[in-house]
Amino acid sequence: MIYRGLLWMVETIGFSTVAINYVLEPTAKKKPEIPTPTPISDLMDGLPIVQGRSRPIRVLNRLTVVMSDASHFRLNAAEYRHFDLLAVQPTTEKLFHAACLLYDVDIICISLTEKLPFFFKRAPVNGAVDRGVVFEVSYSAAIRDSTLRRYTFTNAFSLMDTCKGKNVILSSAAEKALELRGPYDVTNLGLLFGLSNGDAKEAISSTCRSVLLHAETRKTASGVIYTMKSSSESSCQERAPPECEAPAAKRAKPT
Amino acid sequence: MVRWKSRYLLCEVNVVDRSRLLLLDDRAVAGAVKAAVARIHGDYGAALCSIRFCVKYLNAHTGIVLLRFPKSCYRILWSALPFITSVESRGQKIPCFLNCLHVGGTIRTCQKFLVRYNTQQLHRMLPKCKNEEEKQQICKAILNCTLTGKDKEESEDESENEEDEEE
Repeated sequence: MIYRGLLWMVETIGFSTVAINYVLEPTAKKKPEIPTPTPISDLMDGLPIVQGRSRPIRVLNRLTVVMSDASHFRLNAAEYRHFDLLAVQPTTEKLFHAACLLYDVDIICISLTEKLPFFFKRAPVNGAVDRGVVFEVSYSAAIRDSTLRRYTFTNAFSLMDTCKGKNVILSSAAEKALELRGPYDVTNLGLLFGLSNGDAKEAISSTCRSVLLHAETRKTASGVIYTMKSSSESSCQERAPPECEAPAAKRAKPT
Repeated sequence: MVRWKSRYLLCEVNVVDRSRLLLLDDRAVAGAVKAAVARIHGDYGAALCSIRFCVKYLNAHTGIVLLRFPKSCYRILWSALPFITSVESRGQKIPCFLNCLHVGGTIRTCQKFLVRYNTQQLHRMLPKCKNEEEKQQICKAILNCTLTGKDKEESEDESENEEDEEE
């Protein structure tokens, strides 16, 4: 029910793609259970049409793992297949280094509840940029609380110094419908975080789209071949599976 | 010739509960903007806000607000608008947020955009109609909009009353 109000607000404002985030915060003792996301069709029957476009809104599932230890994130676990996007929130320097260069994730979240105990170094950040991993800054905490606002700005600024504004996305970690903001407002918030004009606009449009495509390539074999089950059995068994480029282009939407 | 240049920001006030929208007042909105700017940018922001800032147009039925800022510092003042969480008017707090639709150099450009935007809203409202009478009214309003002429403003006012019936 919460989702219905949120989704309605999102499509009124004009965003065409939305990801529902499931946060996993494993504690030291037990092995964490990865939640299975509820399928989109259960949440709402009939997705509303985005204002200003002719297609319904696209809803994705996303998992965020808050890591304080290297064993929390199991590489290539089978449960990750249910989620369209994978994100990781490292809390130590080593984990940040590993997440940027090794782990198979799409998004690295910058935590907002504390001043980061580590500084961003050029080497892992540049490695992440080359691989296509993006850094995420979320802005609804800044709207809610004044102390969190200071931490948001501090952390965002130190990130922008290191990565020079490339591969950054701005997202709202909204829990209520009133914590969302329109695209022009979010672009302006990006200026406050230290992005330049062009980078701020990209942060909510083309970089986000590149994250979605990056997430799709995770399900394929090195991003070249994409297999799909076809409903007609007879002729398809001999044909080679179609390439990844075609499905991604067909599902591409302007964001 | 020297001319005072301003930027006009067309914003929409989004609320969850539409009936609270009617309590909006232009002084309330101006107060909320000034308070937010002072909170985010401090004394410097509060000083910038008093140069040429005012609320030029407010429509309580649809929640459209037209704000005027000086051209030299409108970005800074605009960046404080996302931090508005509620507007206080007549003793009641209305939880809402401002969503910026368009930035224009003159009131006329903003008005042209507003006419197009309202036409889109009418098109969006059409499938959500509950009875035949409302459908007829919206169809009539849409047909009015597509004719060029001076009746565009009046058709917007008609359509805004229907939004209260539906939601």
